[in-house]
Amino acid sequence: MAIPVKDDTKLVTVKIDDKEYQVPAGANLVDLAKWYADNDIPVFCYHPKLEPVGMCRMCLVELGSIMRDRETGDVVLDDNGEPTVRWFPKLQTACTQTASDGMVVRTNTEAVDETRENVLEFLLTSHPLDCPICDKGGECPLQNLTMEHGPQESRMIYSDKMHLQKHVPLGDLIFLDRERCIQCARCVRFQDELVGDAVLGFHERGRRLQIITSSDPGFDTYFSGNTTDICPVGALTTADFRFGARPWEMTEIPSISPWDAAGENISLSMRLDRDFGGRAMIKRVMPRQNEYVNELWISDKTRFGHHFTRSLDRLVEPMVSFGDKLTDQSWNDAYKAAVTALEGASGDVAAIAGGAISNEDLWELRQLVEGLGGSRLGAWPPTHGGADLVAEVGVGQDTNLKELGAGDAILVVASDLEEEVPIWRLRLKRAQDRGAYLVVANARPTRMEEFALDTQRNDKPVEGAAVRYAPGEAAAAISDLKSSNKDVYDRLADATNLVVVAGADGLDLDGNKALMQACANLLIETDHVGKANNGLMSPIPGPNGMGLHYLGYTPEVTQDIVANPPKVLIVAQAEPAEDDPTATEWLSKVDTVITLSLFPDRTTSYASIVLPIQSFAERDGTFVNGERRVQRFYTAQGPLGEAVPAWKILTTIREKLGQGRAKLSAAAVMLEITKNVDVFAEMRYKNLSQVTRQFPEIGGDDLYYGGTAYQNRGGLGIQIPSAADSGKVKAGKVASVKATKASKGELIALPITELYNRSNAFMPSGLVHARVAVPYVTLSSSDADDLGLVDGDLVEVSFEGGAVRVRATVGDVPAGVALLPQHLTDEPTPIVPTVVTLSKIAQPVLA
Amino acid sequence: MALKEKYNDRIQLHLSKYPDSRSAVMPLLYIAQEEYGYVNDQGVDEVAEILDLDPTQVRSIAGFYTMYSEKPKGKYWLQVCTDLACALNGADEFHKALKDYLGVEEGGTTEDGLFTVEHVMCLAACDKAPMLQCNFHFMEDLDMDKMKAWVEEKRAEYQAELDAK
Ligand code: SF4
Ligand code: FES
Ligand code: FES
Repeated sequence: MAIPVKDDTKLVTVKIDDKEYQVPAGANLVDLAKWYADNDIPVFCYHPKLEPVGMCRMCLVELGSIMRDRETGDVVLDDNGEPTVRWFPKLQTACTQTASDGMVVRTNTEAVDETRENVLEFLLTSHPLDCPICDKGGECPLQNLTMEHGPQESRMIYSDKMHLQKHVPLGDLIFLDRERCIQCARCVRFQDELVGDAVLGFHERGRRLQIITSSDPGFDTYFSGNTTDICPVGALTTADFRFGARPWEMTEIPSISPWDAAGENISLSMRLDRDFGGRAMIKRVMPRQNEYVNELWISDKTRFGHHFTRSLDRLVEPMVSFGDKLTDQSWNDAYKAAVTALEGASGDVAAIAGGAISNEDLWELRQLVEGLGGSRLGAWPPTHGGADLVAEVGVGQDTNLKELGAGDAILVVASDLEEEVPIWRLRLKRAQDRGAYLVVANARPTRMEEFALDTQRNDKPVEGAAVRYAPGEAAAAISDLKSSNKDVYDRLADATNLVVVAGADGLDLDGNKALMQACANLLIETDHVGKANNGLMSPIPGPNGMGLHYLGYTPEVTQDIVANPPKVLIVAQAEPAEDDPTATEWLSKVDTVITLSLFPDRTTSYASIVLPIQSFAERDGTFVNGERRVQRFYTAQGPLGEAVPAWKILTTIREKLGQGRAKLSAAAVMLEITKNVDVFAEMRYKNLSQVTRQFPEIGGDDLYYGGTAYQNRGGLGIQIPSAADSGKVKAGKVASVKATKASKGELIALPITELYNRSNAFMPSGLVHARVAVPYVTLSSSDADDLGLVDGDLVEVSFEGGAVRVRATVGDVPAGVALLPQHLTDEPTPIVPTVVTLSKIAQPVLA
Repeated sequence: MALKEKYNDRIQLHLSKYPDSRSAVMPLLYIAQEEYGYVNDQGVDEVAEILDLDPTQVRSIAGFYTMYSEKPKGKYWLQVCTDLACALNGADEFHKALKDYLGVEEGGTTEDGLFTVEHVMCLAACDKAPMLQCNFHFMEDLDMDKMKAWVEEKRAEYQAELDAK
């Protein structure tokens, strides 16, 4: 199957239009014709990432095989001494053929041409031909193939066309035009096969065949936008972009998703727009192919969450407080204030940086702090440790999750991947479909656990197991797996390849670190490190969680900063007081807080100097994703107000402090990093922007093949080798963990992640608001009984540093704990397991 | 849950026939149609729940096959075959005459809620044309006289029921 070939692939000879090719046995004919013979067989229903179904007949070709004598096995020759070909009497669908030795294909004959024309004429019999007002116009497979192969005129009577609904909302995000649909079932199959939510289906038949959803809520998944990319017509459009622009008006800028550890490669479609004062703005976010990272897919959060880059709520001017109130100041005065504060700290300077800040920013920040004699560099939030272990035994060089399958195993522990890193969840579920054994361990149910418990999917058997441990006992559950769950342990140990994803769901920093060590030990003991498709990953929050580690920022130091506040604290693209109810307490102990922020928030209100930074769209830089791949993003949009890239603010302050000349570009900062930080030695921008040929080859003129995901022109990035890749690693000791204890009448709140939440960066994307959950707390039925609560009651949850009012829901959670999602309420909720009390709020009775 | 309780034996019987429970979707849809008079959303949701399918998948099946009705029907659902063999034997005229007699349009239902008439493709009783199926039972070798007698009989039965109440 494998294209491009691996060392052990069996090759066969296939003849296409009279030329011979050596191709992998079993490869799909459409794929191999394109890859080896540069022959674009037109398709509508076939997609290289979906199972072939042979529904549209667009790919018909002449097919035959070379005849062999049954007895001798020799090739039968004709009168001219040429091999005799036995042709199928009728044309065959190329998309359902796989390569076998002696296969002969013709794609350039009259019969094929005529068939292509006829199939197109048939598809167009009831097509509305509304290309001039169609969002897909200009990048439409049906349009392109009609120009290339279609009839010049239609013999159809226009008034005989089928009329169907043209604006059917399939959910909040996707609209369906039933007239344009050509019934290829790509959207249906994407949902069934890849996502695993069969929420789209066909209804009726013949000319009335149409896409429906009868699910409740409708088309509601975190991946729905991808269907608009693979729909070969304009039948599916996003509520975010429809009627927004024509494809040819937009300029594509390569970028990286700013949300999570996957580091999805994206393309920002930019256009000068009156909605943004005539300046270039993001009209849509599209996937950019990186087969190692996100293939052709992105999550809906990445696609629809871009509005914060031009939000009116953003900080657009520096602010300084000279007494008690922050006021707008010029950059000059702001720099002056910062320099004065930093010089006055006599070396007692520390920094806390968030996971969404780039490596260049982190480097300048570190130089600044160290240049002043400080050394404390903290990572925010201080919940995810073990980045050092990911650096040590992280997934090996050239890992590609799409290669995991039969014989391999996956362990997901203490993570709700669907909510934390949706693309990993998409790709790992797919690995299970291909035969990988999926184990999910957690203290509570998750979507991934449902997959692990499935026994069959789309008529094929799948395998997995779920392990539930007592809250907080994640590390022990993994360390003891061999004795407590021998079957599961053996499957993991004996797997050809093993990937472990370990997070901090329901754990504090110590619990998470112990778990990471236990997972690292499991991988080392079972010899699953230092090679491709084996090793550790972690959903550390933000797109650059691993960058924080490699540039010296740790959660332990953050804890130290919290315990011993410095004189001057620089908070860089982090919002501690928004995240953590206890932050205001320690922030107020710092003499001077300087923030580099996108938004005014609770943290900036503790600051005396607030410096507005640019978002990922306004500048260039690099992130390191959870698989340790260093990836570049490029400048797409002009700056908002007077915002400046964080690295530039920092390098300017350094110059003013006499720490050398300010650097002029992010590239120059990276150059300095490559010279000073070993693991970055190869990471010059030029190297990071290299692209090699990727299978499937998409995004050329033949949009019908892969859809509208963009070809990668910005670079595939480079993976930092793990320590295990370059040498031996040893198992470490798993520290014992102190459990959080609650007294009678109290519960332990476990913070959980909701992908869609009310964080400052996500809120400006109004389209998605309807799908942000109403704030809730989930508790067991026994605790609910004890507290006299029923589903839907309004409760006040109180904890150290605050209280929030949320809806109670009763669910499958262990007694004694309550799940409290982060960032759903305006006020912060605990970021680590915390003792809480719940009390019912009497609700006003409506007359 | 209505279907599951009311028809448990039949449902279990169907489930036991297939290695994979989802294969029972069609017989279960018949049960839902029988119970609710047509395949309504509640029936779809219940069948989906029993078979662990998404309601969309169940609705797709109901939409594909003409034996499932997705709109409310009369007590007697008359499906007249008008396919080629029947047509050659006067099925079209028969179909039209039946509609006229009952005073309904294609697919329509009489005001008393008793009869729904629609035309369908070949029902494999070509030698007995004109023919129709009434609630999935064949009525063959028909003409309008026979049909009128039958309709009046059903009307009388219905009237008697009403009177008895
Ligand atoms: S909506 Fe688009 S992807 Fe879905 S079946 Fe129709 S044409 Fe295919
Ligand atoms: S039948 Fe082959 S692409 Fe549709
Ligand atoms: S044509 Fe009417 S039953 Fe066959």
